[in-house]
Amino acid sequence: MMKPEEILKLIAAARGTAICVPTMTTAPAWRKIAPDDLSVGCVGFMGGASALGLGLALGAPARRVIVFDGDGSLLMQLGSLATIAGAAPRNLTHLLFKNGVYHTSGSQETPGGQGVDFAAMAKAAGYRNTYTIGTLDDFKKRLPGLLTEEGPILAQLMTGLAESTPMTAGPSTPFHQQVADLHAKVGGTR
Amino acid sequence: MPESVPSSLIIDAFKEIFQAERRGAKRQDPLGWIISVPDTHQKSVLAALDKERALRVLTCSTEDDANAVAAGLYITGEPVIVMIQHAGLFASVNTIRGISMDGRVPIFYMIGLLSREKDKDPKDSRHSMVRFAEPLLDVFSIPHARMEGPDDLHLISEYYRKSRERKGPAAVLVGLETA
Repeated sequence: MMKPEEILKLIAAARGTAICVPTMTTAPAWRKIAPDDLSVGCVGFMGGASALGLGLALGAPARRVIVFDGDGSLLMQLGSLATIAGAAPRNLTHLLFKNGVYHTSGSQETPGGQGVDFAAMAKAAGYRNTYTIGTLDDFKKRLPGLLTEEGPILAQLMTGLAESTPMTAGPSTPFHQQVADLHAKVGGTR
Repeated sequence: MPESVPSSLIIDAFKEIFQAERRGAKRQDPLGWIISVPDTHQKSVLAALDKERALRVLTCSTEDDANAVAAGLYITGEPVIVMIQHAGLFASVNTIRGISMDGRVPIFYMIGLLSREKDKDPKDSRHSMVRFAEPLLDVFSIPHARMEGPDDLHLISEYYRKSRERKGPAAVLVGLETA
């Protein structure tokens, strides 16, 4: 199993000017790894990261948008796979950190657990390409393509648990401040 | 007595809003975004929007998606209107709270009151989905007004502006099925 933090470090080094949308257990680690950048974290509306990323991708077609989704989160808005496929944003990379549990609430197994194949679901919904990645070496090899390939693409990343969750990490920048900051950075350049 | 509002007038109101938002912007295409979960009450507007080349309509699987997509578009500076039905309002209250209210994201909603009786105030409707829509918006302190005929078209730009000024949600409820 890959460590989420190791994946995020690789992304931080390679993402360039991409907008990132972390959610749930990737959010605290991403704050440490990339504290002041083009990101907006989803807190308080679990499940919305993929659709928020879609809106960003449609609104900023010249930039790559990378969503760091969770399996429990995506299950809450599974229809977003079809919404994204229908909109077909070429610049959207949907990374699904799959640990099979609701880590924040005590690691209860998600419905279907590790048996749910989100890559197959995304492909069936109409994503241009999907991948399942189980090792950090494979992720390293594929990362340049994941950040440049025509989207929408989804990569299902088989991970262990993150070191911290939004509940155990310290306070973060409020969501409204993250929205305002990102709007100030990318909303006036249209 | 309330009257149906013609779709062409509603779309003209949308365009005027978007034209004002786009003034001086580098990006002009599309003129604006309509994010929709199709509402039977506003079907004539949706049908007419299909023929509009200047506006881009994105149909979402759920109102939760619609709210989040609208937020992403707003962050990038894109003008956007969300068209849903009262049932979608009920279905997506947590997302409206989390994104538009807590996130201070200005989102303007057109909400259809499907099954609203022409001769009744919504609070007296025999349909719970009609009866509870306005009280629900009140609970969340979301500014709203009801469009009861062509004379109320000004509410669209007024409440769109209100959403921008207060940095949060604002809504126009569509009283009768659009024509």
